[in-house]
Amino acid sequence: MTQWLLAGVLGTLFALGTFLVLRRDVVRVVWGVAIVSQAANVYLVTMGGFIGAAPVGDFREATAPSDPLVQALVLTAIVIGFGTTALALVLTYRVYEEHGTIDTYELGGEGL
Amino acid sequence: MTAAAVNDPVVVAPVVVALATAILALVVRSNGRLTKAVSLVGGVGYTLATAAVFTRVVVGASGPLPYYLSNWPAPYGITLVADGLSASMLGLSGVVTLPALVFAVVSVSPQGQRLSFHPLYHFMIAGVAGAFLTGDVFNLFVWFEVMLMASYVLVVFRSGPDETRAALSYVVLNLLGSAVMLVAIGGLYATTGTLNMAAMADRLANPAVYDVAVAPTLGLASLLLSVFALKAGLVPFHFWVPAAYDAAPAPVTAVLAGVVKKVGIYAVIRLFFTVFAAAEYAGGSALGFVGPLLLVAAIASTLYGGVAAVGREKLSEVLAFSSIAQIGFVVVPLGVAATAPGLPVPASAPGETLAAFGIAAALVYAFNHTLAKSLLFLVVGTLQDTVGSVEFDQLGGLARRAPVLAAAFLLGGLSLIGVPPLLGFFGKLLVFRVGVVAGAAGSGVAATLAWVGLAATVVGAVFTIAYVTRSWNAVFWGEPSTRVETALPKRWQTGGREPATAAAADGGQAVGARGLAVEAVVVATLVVALVGFGVGAEFVLDAAATAGEAATDTAGYVDAVLPPEGGVEGVPAESSGGEH
Repeated sequence: MTQWLLAGVLGTLFALGTFLVLRRDVVRVVWGVAIVSQAANVYLVTMGGFIGAAPVGDFREATAPSDPLVQALVLTAIVIGFGTTALALVLTYRVYEEHGTIDTYELGGEGL
Repeated sequence: MTAAAVNDPVVVAPVVVALATAILALVVRSNGRLTKAVSLVGGVGYTLATAAVFTRVVVGASGPLPYYLSNWPAPYGITLVADGLSASMLGLSGVVTLPALVFAVVSVSPQGQRLSFHPLYHFMIAGVAGAFLTGDVFNLFVWFEVMLMASYVLVVFRSGPDETRAALSYVVLNLLGSAVMLVAIGGLYATTGTLNMAAMADRLANPAVYDVAVAPTLGLASLLLSVFALKAGLVPFHFWVPAAYDAAPAPVTAVLAGVVKKVGIYAVIRLFFTVFAAAEYAGGSALGFVGPLLLVAAIASTLYGGVAAVGREKLSEVLAFSSIAQIGFVVVPLGVAATAPGLPVPASAPGETLAAFGIAAALVYAFNHTLAKSLLFLVVGTLQDTVGSVEFDQLGGLARRAPVLAAAFLLGGLSLIGVPPLLGFFGKLLVFRVGVVAGAAGSGVAATLAWVGLAATVVGAVFTIAYVTRSWNAVFWGEPSTRVETALPKRWQTGGREPATAAAADGGQAVGARGLAVEAVVVATLVVALVGFGVGAEFVLDAAATAGEAATDTAGYVDAVLPPEGGVEGVPAESSGGEH
């Protein structure tokens, strides 16, 4: 049951992220990217399976501990995602300062 | 714990040197001169460290050298592995990063250097070195991020309107790429139960022993392929390339085009030819599946980049589009080799199988592109600092006013075209030869694809001639333009004062006569390297052949990294290492 629920949540998150990335507003694009990254993180946690005891202490005695590796991985990924999202938001603000707009069509139309 | 005994500090040296330099440069950044000194010493240290790894692994033929971080044995901890391929790529990065750094010290604005340039530059290099060395798929993701995070800031470094816009699309595309890569890595972990590349190759080769479902890994591998193609700037993932290369300061562009792009190529070779090549799928091997994909992307890159480069009116843009085309040349032999990896090749060619031969050809071409393109981008930087523009309609006749620069551009361009005795000749020759060998000896679809790849590279070569000639005519040939007349009233002699003052008056950066002399020396050094490696091509070919053999020798890689049968006692099976 949890599997189905998570699969549904993951699908919704990826769809929502993709939808936002395709918007014209740069802030929404950045939000979309953030959501896609978070969806990837959720996906990563589910890949370790989620039934089992806490992998703390002398877990060799416990029947089936959860896989702690994916949690370590996702911690790394969250920190990286946090940093890059902050950078992308600052960049959005700089783009607004430089161009006076955050509409991707108007930005793209200026040159190139 | 036999594993602990073999840890060789040489393997981690490039990463440690780059990271230490970056942190030290960050600590002393209030003192401008000290920062520069630290950065330059670190740059020299990095080049020496890569040379040491290269000497040990490729020249000394040591076989793959694993380094177990914190002495955690192979599948549990993070392992760094320096094999022939990694060491060759490190050598490639070591040749260019130091000249570009010296160039940056004189050309990047003093304020920018005080602010953060040097730490960022070395963090980027650390990411590159880590990506080349790591033997762990998730760790590869982390090093990618280290490299990208620094490169985001370096692309937006001048932070004008064009730079912010270019950086935004660069950041957004790469963030999406990272998310996709994370999904692929998570899936690979769920299916194979490991992140260690050697262990993954071992499990994919013996799925019955480890109870691994092989089929899903093919889809996950293709996700990874798209991410690596994005990093390498292959069509259809090339959108960020021209704007980002135009936006970054010249020495950074030289490293982005010369080294950072090659990380994507390296990852394709490592994961597909070493790891996934071991797996057998219902419809054939993973290589047989990605081969045509790689080939189509490479052909499209070669043609698109060539056509687009011919039509540009700005030297830096011509070179940026040329980068897309040249990466196509690097990937064509990989695609051809992947369609028929086991095909035996003539004794005179490097490598024993077509896979090894194709990788060797790709690496020689990549090395040529690294040297030639870095050189050309640094020439662009020097033009920016002397004349203050790289638009074709503003330039002309520079061959008379700046003969050294003109000669450097000519040699770099000729190497891109592939004129002997420059290194580019051997690169082109090998790329063509892979096509001929695969076309003549192969059969069916693989042979057809090889001929198509060959035809595309020949057409691409014609485009290369066209855009190099056009650039040469517009910038260096003919009568000096008005702008060139004002900037360089007479022949530029290193030591004269005219160029610096003229460019400064025109809004260019005040680099100063001494700075310009340094820039000219850096450019000349790269020219010497280009000619030297061309004349001594035997050395480059041998290294590339070693790399090709190492990359295709999955069993050797697995044996060197994983402990012998029976595993290691005393390590709980579930406590794997992750990087926090």
